[in-house]
Amino acid sequence: MPRHRTDPSDRGRQPAVRTAAIALGGSLGTLARYGVDRALAGPPLGMPWSTLAVNVTGSLVLGLVVTLVVERWPPTRYVRPFAAIGFCGGFTTFSTMVVEAVQRGQHGRASLAAVYLLVSTAAGLVAAAAGMAVARGRLLPAIGAGPRPDPDTLGSLDPGPAPGGAAGGPEGGRPGRAARS
Amino acid sequence: MIILGLAVAGAVGAVLRYLVDRTVQERARSRLPVGITVVNLSGSLVLGVLTGSALHHGVSAAWLTVAGTGLIGAYTTFSTFTFDTVGLMEEGAWGGAAVNVLIGLGAGLGAAAAGLALGSLT
Repeated sequence: MPRHRTDPSDRGRQPAVRTAAIALGGSLGTLARYGVDRALAGPPLGMPWSTLAVNVTGSLVLGLVVTLVVERWPPTRYVRPFAAIGFCGGFTTFSTMVVEAVQRGQHGRASLAAVYLLVSTAAGLVAAAAGMAVARGRLLPAIGAGPRPDPDTLGSLDPGPAPGGAAGGPEGGRPGRAARS
Repeated sequence: MIILGLAVAGAVGAVLRYLVDRTVQERARSRLPVGITVVNLSGSLVLGVLTGSALHHGVSAAWLTVAGTGLIGAYTTFSTFTFDTVGLMEEGAWGGAAVNVLIGLGAGLGAAAAGLALGSLT
């Protein structure tokens, strides 16, 4: 239930730096998507491989990063705004995908559009789940993080409540998987 | 110049997504990621309008790249959509996961089609 609620620890903690981290990540993610788009550009109404590629790889990276931040790493303040909300959010795109699908549908390529949406969604879900599994050491244990950090250690690294009175850690120190990005 | 425009537009789009998502989600009181759904649907509508205008009214390619690829591309997001859906599945909320995907894709296609139609008119 608290999963999709805004984390109270977001409040009153360096909102300007947090916003700057999101902006910088979004900027870099957008430039990276543009670069992939230039590199993989295909015929106008063919399979949009570049959007498919960024959406699937971005889902993998987001699953990996958010799970590391929330479940594995000691509390970090700006990794998630920069890498997850900013970079992965800016790198992947939903609007381009649906506009590409509609355009193909309108030009007699409805089955290509359907395959495109189906493959994007299925591969995106598998990629996000794979990223989460890698972060938990369940897939590719050599890459996955070691044992889960001791909550006591996390507590001692936590700089404590903000002067404004917000409770809990800045990022990922909170209990459970309040995993929004 | 396009690179600079894209960099600025991507930054603005990402921050806008964060603000809209947070504002909507706070008020939604739902376990479903309503905030990101609102972001993705509104962005799909706007990108449809921009693309329709560009096709029918000769908007410059540079403008479409900065506003469409940059601003709206960064505003909407696919990775959070898949990540949240997997999260719902992990919680056993299979119905919620299915609703999230079906509404996202179905309404997203509708919003994009409506936007393309609007853009070619105006």
